[in-house]
Amino acid sequence: MTGRTVRVTVNGVAYERSVEARRTLTDFIRDDLRLTGTHVGCEHGVCGACTVLLDGDAVRACLLLAVQVDGREIRTIEGLERDGQLHPLQEALRDCHSFQCGFCTPGFVMTAVALLEEGATPTEEELREELSGNLCRCTGYQSIVAGVSEAVRRVNGDGGGASGDARRVEEISR
Amino acid sequence: MRMVGAKVPRVEDRRILTGRGHYVDDLQLPRMLHAAFLRSPIAHGRVTHLDVEAARAAPGVHAVYTGADMRELSKPIRSPLSQGAVPEVYPLVTDTVRFVGDLVAMVVADSRYTAEDAVGMIDVEYADLPVVMDYEAALDPSVPPLFADLDSNVVHTATKESGDVDAAFAAADRIIEVTLSQHRIANVPIETRGLVADYDAGSGELTVHAATQSPQGLRLQLAQTLDQPMDRLRVLTQDVGGAFGLKGNIFREDFCVPIASRQLGRPVKWIEDRNEHLMASGHAREERIAARVAVTEAGDILGLTAALDLDMGAYPGMPFSAASFTGVIALLLPGPYKVRGYRCDTRVVATNKSTYVAYRGPWAMETFTRERLIDMVAAELGLDPAEVRRRNLLEGADEDRLITGPTVRGITTRECLDRALERIDYPAFRTEQEAARAEGRYLGIGMAAFIENAPGPKEMRPGGGFTGGESAKVRLEMDGALTVITAQSPHGQGHETTLAQLAADEMGVPFDSVRVVHGDTRLTPFNIIGTGGSRAATWGSGAVMVSTRKLREKVLAIAAGQLEIDPSDLQIVDGVVSPKGVPGKEIPLARLAGQMTLMPQTAPPGTDPNLMAEERFTGEETTGSGWSGGVHACIVEVDLGTGGVEIKRWVVVEDCGRIINPAIVDGQIRGGVAQGIGSVLYERIPYDSEGTFLAGTFMDYLLPTSAEIPPIEIVHIESPDDDGVGFRGVGEGGMIVAPATLTNAISDALAPFGARVTEQYLPPAEVLRLAGVVGAGAA
Amino acid sequence: MKPAEFEHHAVDSVEEAVGLLTELADDDVKVLAGGQSLVPLLALRLASVGHLVDVNGVTELATIADGDGLAIGATVRHRQVERSPEVAAANPLLAAAVRRIGHAAIRNRGTIGGTVAHADPAAELPAVLTLLDGSVEVRGTGGGRTIAAADLFDGYFTTTLEPEELLTAVHVPALPAGTGWAVQQFSRRSGDYGIVTVLATLALDGDGRISAARVAYAGVDAVPLRSPVAETALVGQTASAELWTAVGHDAAVVLEPASDLNGSAEYRRHLAATLTARALQQASERAGVRA
Repeated sequence: MTGRTVRVTVNGVAYERSVEARRTLTDFIRDDLRLTGTHVGCEHGVCGACTVLLDGDAVRACLLLAVQVDGREIRTIEGLERDGQLHPLQEALRDCHSFQCGFCTPGFVMTAVALLEEGATPTEEELREELSGNLCRCTGYQSIVAGVSEAVRRVNGDGGGASGDARRVEEISR
Repeated sequence: MRMVGAKVPRVEDRRILTGRGHYVDDLQLPRMLHAAFLRSPIAHGRVTHLDVEAARAAPGVHAVYTGADMRELSKPIRSPLSQGAVPEVYPLVTDTVRFVGDLVAMVVADSRYTAEDAVGMIDVEYADLPVVMDYEAALDPSVPPLFADLDSNVVHTATKESGDVDAAFAAADRIIEVTLSQHRIANVPIETRGLVADYDAGSGELTVHAATQSPQGLRLQLAQTLDQPMDRLRVLTQDVGGAFGLKGNIFREDFCVPIASRQLGRPVKWIEDRNEHLMASGHAREERIAARVAVTEAGDILGLTAALDLDMGAYPGMPFSAASFTGVIALLLPGPYKVRGYRCDTRVVATNKSTYVAYRGPWAMETFTRERLIDMVAAELGLDPAEVRRRNLLEGADEDRLITGPTVRGITTRECLDRALERIDYPAFRTEQEAARAEGRYLGIGMAAFIENAPGPKEMRPGGGFTGGESAKVRLEMDGALTVITAQSPHGQGHETTLAQLAADEMGVPFDSVRVVHGDTRLTPFNIIGTGGSRAATWGSGAVMVSTRKLREKVLAIAAGQLEIDPSDLQIVDGVVSPKGVPGKEIPLARLAGQMTLMPQTAPPGTDPNLMAEERFTGEETTGSGWSGGVHACIVEVDLGTGGVEIKRWVVVEDCGRIINPAIVDGQIRGGVAQGIGSVLYERIPYDSEGTFLAGTFMDYLLPTSAEIPPIEIVHIESPDDDGVGFRGVGEGGMIVAPATLTNAISDALAPFGARVTEQYLPPAEVLRLAGVVGAGAA
Repeated sequence: MKPAEFEHHAVDSVEEAVGLLTELADDDVKVLAGGQSLVPLLALRLASVGHLVDVNGVTELATIADGDGLAIGATVRHRQVERSPEVAAANPLLAAAVRRIGHAAIRNRGTIGGTVAHADPAAELPAVLTLLDGSVEVRGTGGGRTIAAADLFDGYFTTTLEPEELLTAVHVPALPAGTGWAVQQFSRRSGDYGIVTVLATLALDGDGRISAARVAYAGVDAVPLRSPVAETALVGQTASAELWTAVGHDAAVVLEPASDLNGSAEYRRHLAATLTARALQQASERAGVRA
């Protein structure tokens, strides 16, 4: 099997690697680029732990081949922090004690980043729907919904949407 | 500011939110190889032909191990803590496969891709053996045992009897009989199992990086089975992506990978994939209880008998086999209620399924059974289920005991029940329910109570219980920082935060200057369980508290000597020692520690300049009830058009004593409730009658998502404790009581149809069957 | 869970794709579009291929054309359809059905052509095509042809496409003005395939009588089904809750769904009856007349 060259920008850094055609994007990011913040939870596209942004869209990295991202731009959880400063989403998630074991975290974070960057101001029900493609086994989700709601409020404003959650966040943070 | 009791942001969060955690699969070592297993596709059979030569010859393959190879390289696997009949087992099967997923061969190759390619090149044939897939087959003495060296597929039996059973039943107005069952489910952490074994041929040292709840337990078992000297065996565990009891077990793969590393002299990584995980990592529950309850017309429960069967799958769990948990079920089944006569017979049977493992409150069958029975008693007698509970509850008075023995002084079940019903507005709900039924809408309310010995009253744990308590090490660094080394091995519980909160308060140092270290068997005190069994709150915390107090005493003695003042007149605030109320004589801890470390000879006479402490906490000083517990209540609406169940409210009233970090406690509760909801509505491990495994992907094993789990309202009762460590375990309670709560609510919603809910798994088709909307076999 | 080896061919044009499909026909070739169903099958080694022809770079397949109905290129992502103003205007039922596919991250990659060619019997889009008498365009070495939805689905995960043919576009007729529509689906969890999905359209005349009706199902057979029973029973009747229930029942009893872990045939028929009634109710509301 001959190697195929993949040139890709990840978190603003250009990489070039030779890979087998069958190599998944998750394995490429984690093992070839050594960006292990993106996690592998199921390798069949259900759990969402490997969610990354491909040209701005949230996608499952386990359902893409590395050869398919040649020339594209990817963002992973490692790219959110700027100059030692947490992204507002990360701050909100920390403030709301959103996560426990941290394994599903990268997927939720990248799913939520895409949502924030679209300018969304979802209601709690809409947000629960948006996040339902990511599985968490620790939290029962309430803290994650609260954390993302809080980030939405801080970044995109209330929009009449997430105020119920924001109240719940206040309760949680108090 | 006191840290204990505050919603302190977690220390762990910065790294996990920025993608800088360290999970075992993140490890890449130089020259590392990758393992993959050939697993049995059939439930029971003899391996009649196994040819691995093509796989061995494949490019990139470094080794292929068969059962015969492993038998040469390993002693039989035997847990020091096993109960019941234990067969001789090796890392890979030697001649017979006993469940779908059983380990037949192992390939070690340059990459996981290559290893899986080579697994596909192994030529194997099986001769089918008759399968044992249910209790009846396992109990049938004419069916040959799964293991030739065992007499029977019934591997353990026991009986617990207290009070006068015959008298209780003789005095009863009615006897209600029912068999309740709990289906097979699984822990399913989002991180699967995995380990990297790294044998250094130069030093003879084996280092095992493992996603485990118990590094010390794993190390002990590896040392025994692999004949590896313990001074040259180190287990390292950093971040672990959830476990819920699963990773407290030691598995046959855990021996294979280090053996391969030792043979090849190279690091070997094995990360379980999700298909392997669902099929073979282990499953939980699968129990049934045939119960008889003796009651009066007024609703007094006089007697209870129970016959428990537990299906443990083929291989005994390690280190705790399924039999360990049947005893807990028998102990706790009567729960916080008065019963005059009680008997529980337990049996553990072997079948051709994956191994039984502990899953968050492994004994939860007791709560499901008891709380379902109480609702059935209420229904049968035409009484209110809340009233039946109230009538029979133990009060927590000084003389109160479970009928099985332990005291329950100070339990708050009644208060929890009252608060839960008040919060959910029980009378208003009954009115609403009535009105809804008139419109053809079916609402239901469920409530359930549990208690858990976390840690249990003193008489249950003399000398610190079967582990003899727990130790921790604390060290004051030269810069005034405090290093806390815990025997806990957290995997999501946030102990780096909670133990730091405790240590900061005890020592009088800023929270940020405490670092909690765990997961390195070279440093951590021995603890065979690691983190599990709702033990950390009491034992982990207690160990850190007594050790920190000891260190503080040492520090104060030194400062007192230097200042020529009595130690009792000193305080430590924000990392500075000072005489109370006398400014200008402050000694920063950094200065004191620096001086004692660099110039220990300057220590005042009679003081110890070695600023470390390791104390064992045995719980002797704690005088609280020892019982965690609570009551949950939920409201559901059942859609008879689809069988769908909507959870409209979920209220938790919980008493786990003093709370270290409320946000973390709430997270533990909510996570447990979500798993309980999953068990009732979504999750089931299915086998067909031939033993074929039917849930190999996340499309088949359904974990609930954010759209299915409702907001969960939590009320805390911090029952007054004591002069010692007032923190009690909270990790398991949600999962213990949620299934009973939800099944009771669904049963209540279906009451107009005379539904009798005896199984815990209630998917839509089953709900409609119970309602009589579709016929039997619909599920 | 890693795929076995294969060759990957990224193509720029339909001609190149069709050429490769023909050339490699004897060598286990498959088209890779969104990959949201194919890649898991490869990872689980439930499917193995010698070659993947990756059509994601074929720009001519990535557009939505709005003329006589909607012509949606094969590699148009679900997300694009879901958010397209043209789709919303011409066929809101299609947009609603697409929103039921998986989760956002799946819809960001999954393609319209892929889901139709994959022909999962529980999938939404094949049912939409069946409901609305849509069609697909395919191209082979001998040129193109159009296959009507009724002739396309040939069994579980099977279509009447020839192995060397590439599905290039999906035609979905516009909903006539004033037509009410509904997508009713019941799944165990958010984002799962529906156990049963019911699609319906209704048109009412000035007297509140049903002048046209269509009902289609996914998840009740090997292929999506229209319900002649329901459609015949509806036309000419006056909208009412009783009618919806009766039609739902009559349409469901003739179905012959398979049993699986999610429930028996009987359960699926019950679901079909429930969802049909709910779909008709909702469609009638959208048609502007309350039942």
